[in-house]
Amino acid sequence: MQGQATQIIHAYRQAPWRVQRQWVGVFLLVVVGAAMVAALYLDVTARTAVTGREIQELRIQITTIQRETADLETRLADLTSTAAMQRRALELGYRPVLPGELDYVAVPGFAPPEPAILLAAKDTSPQTDAVPAEYTQSLLEWFEDRIKFGGIR
Amino acid sequence: MRQRYAVRSTIVVAGLVVAVLAVIVQIIRIQTSEQAAVFLSQGDRYAGEFQMFYPERGEIYDRNGHLLAGNRTVYEVGVSLREMESPEAMASALSSNLGLTYDEIYKKLTESPETWEYVVVQDYVAVDTVEKLKRLVEQLDDAEDPRLSGLAFKPHLQRSYPENALASNVLGFVTRDGRGYFGVEEKYNDLLAGNPVQIWVPRDPNKATEIPKVPNGTTLVLTINRDLQAKVESILDESLSEYGAQNGTIIVTDPRNGEILAMAATPRMDLNNYGNYFSLYDNGSQYNRAIGMTYEPGSVFKVLTMAAALDAGTVAPETTFIDTGAIEVGGITIQNWNRDAWGQQNMTGCLQHSLNVCLAWLSSQMGTQAFYGYMERFGIGHPTGVDLSGEAPGRLKRPGDGDWYPVDLGTNAFGQGVAVTPLQMLMAASAIANEGKMATPHVLYAMLRDGHQYNVPSQYAGSPISAETARTLNEMLSVSLEQESSMALLPGYRLAGKTGTAQIPTDYGYDAFHTNVSFIGWGPVDEPQFMIYIWMEQPSTSIWASETAAPVFSRVAEQTVILLNIPPDVVRSQVTK
Repeated sequence: MQGQATQIIHAYRQAPWRVQRQWVGVFLLVVVGAAMVAALYLDVTARTAVTGREIQELRIQITTIQRETADLETRLADLTSTAAMQRRALELGYRPVLPGELDYVAVPGFAPPEPAILLAAKDTSPQTDAVPAEYTQSLLEWFEDRIKFGGIR
Repeated sequence: MRQRYAVRSTIVVAGLVVAVLAVIVQIIRIQTSEQAAVFLSQGDRYAGEFQMFYPERGEIYDRNGHLLAGNRTVYEVGVSLREMESPEAMASALSSNLGLTYDEIYKKLTESPETWEYVVVQDYVAVDTVEKLKRLVEQLDDAEDPRLSGLAFKPHLQRSYPENALASNVLGFVTRDGRGYFGVEEKYNDLLAGNPVQIWVPRDPNKATEIPKVPNGTTLVLTINRDLQAKVESILDESLSEYGAQNGTIIVTDPRNGEILAMAATPRMDLNNYGNYFSLYDNGSQYNRAIGMTYEPGSVFKVLTMAAALDAGTVAPETTFIDTGAIEVGGITIQNWNRDAWGQQNMTGCLQHSLNVCLAWLSSQMGTQAFYGYMERFGIGHPTGVDLSGEAPGRLKRPGDGDWYPVDLGTNAFGQGVAVTPLQMLMAASAIANEGKMATPHVLYAMLRDGHQYNVPSQYAGSPISAETARTLNEMLSVSLEQESSMALLPGYRLAGKTGTAQIPTDYGYDAFHTNVSFIGWGPVDEPQFMIYIWMEQPSTSIWASETAAPVFSRVAEQTVILLNIPPDVVRSQVTK
């Protein structure tokens, strides 16, 4: 009786349809796994590509804005040039002051203000030295990085 | 039956395996073939390009933050030949806007080499012109008219000078190849231009790894006061016209630290049209006469001789000299400017009446070693080291030189036979105004780079005379100016100074009809805050500096005290109390 039961179990385990299903299951598992990795990789590379494009566009924008700023500063200087200001002052009815018309008032501790250009030394160059690694690393490089330095953020 | 199928399927599988293997082998063979290397290199070539990033040229400001040299957007107008539909329409539209002929443009568009994809029609086109062309292109695009297809505008920066000709001799200019010529633009060209960076820019966005950081050129802040510069230039132009002089120079400095507050010279050039250079100047030394042209200064040099004689102890202010109207030095007779004998004079009188005989006597009493030693320490015959391009060293003949004669000891004492630049005279005399210390003249006040400010410290070129000598001579020059009722005086301010009327040397001796007139002066005497040098060449209304250069000095001093907020002596003394 026990031998018959063992035979039935053995036959069930060795049933051809069951072996095939096991193989199909393993195959599907591999396919799904590969698809997941591929989808993840595709997603990362696609986002990297988009970010790369954005960087290129930002770079162009920075150059354009810097050029426009320089241009506007020069235009402003044109409008406030000595000749232009003198002309406008005369049109408004002003005339050059004579030494006898000046009154001097002593203000203790007064120091003439520094020019704006010296007060706010500006920095027009990009502040970022490099693009963060998240924008440049491939998936494989990210894994390698994790393995080398440990920890997953 | 079942076995037969098994054999067949084995054959099919084997066939497929062989086919797959053949494909793999072929793939490997192609990938490793010689042709593959060629294709790979071609692929690499188009994977990106090396781009040169030129930094924005640093700006130049005056000491109060007014922009003197900036950058302006201009355009390169070009045509993409592949996209061009009608060269005739393109040439017609561009010729009417760019100032080029139709034939010239048409030839460029139609006769360029076949490999060319893009042709530059004109560069450095102004924004207004480009705006007109852009509007035209938009109108045609709206009407779906492709006649101007392919027209491209590439913006870039060009040097621009908002003040046009103001301080042109100090600033210099930048040509279209980005190189600075003359003045600050040449002297600080490397700082202003910055460092171009060449970067490989990949077309693959996945490889856009680094933002190229190209630091802009260094911005410079000058010691020049724009408003004073404008006033001084205006006074110079008016004076040249009033006195019929050919050219002139006026310099205003701060004797305490050598800062150049204004430096005007003629002729001046609109820096935005530097193409006029060759029509204005015969040679580079004329670009900035204040530092590039040397001349015999005449009697303004007497202040240095007197300083040397006082400092060496040869004479004191009250030392008397009997002027007989002539003195023999090195076998040659030297006379006064009016050939008169002025009788008994003290040293102040010698300066006040500008007596050549007295000053020649002083240098003779000092001897060659002491006299030339002092002149050497005053920096005569050497460049001042001013931070402007194109400075001339001048010439001081010394004993032992082939062209030095014993009479030179006498004539040099009153500024003949010695060649100086106006700035050299200012630097030397700054020792008298500044307690014996001689400040090196400079125009750079500060540098701005990467958000940081670097101030330029003042430098001193030695102390040729003692502070006591400086104070004594300061007083003597002030008294002599007052007693002479000079036209250089400015009401409310005590000033010190000296005129100089110099004959002009020619190949046949000195010109009998023309002179160079100069004036050197400073104030207020008790606390000198400005120093002014005037030089006008060959005035025609009067040959005398007392009638030409002296009143110009007064006018410049008047504007200087107003613009530098220097109160009259009475007000200052009240504040001090």
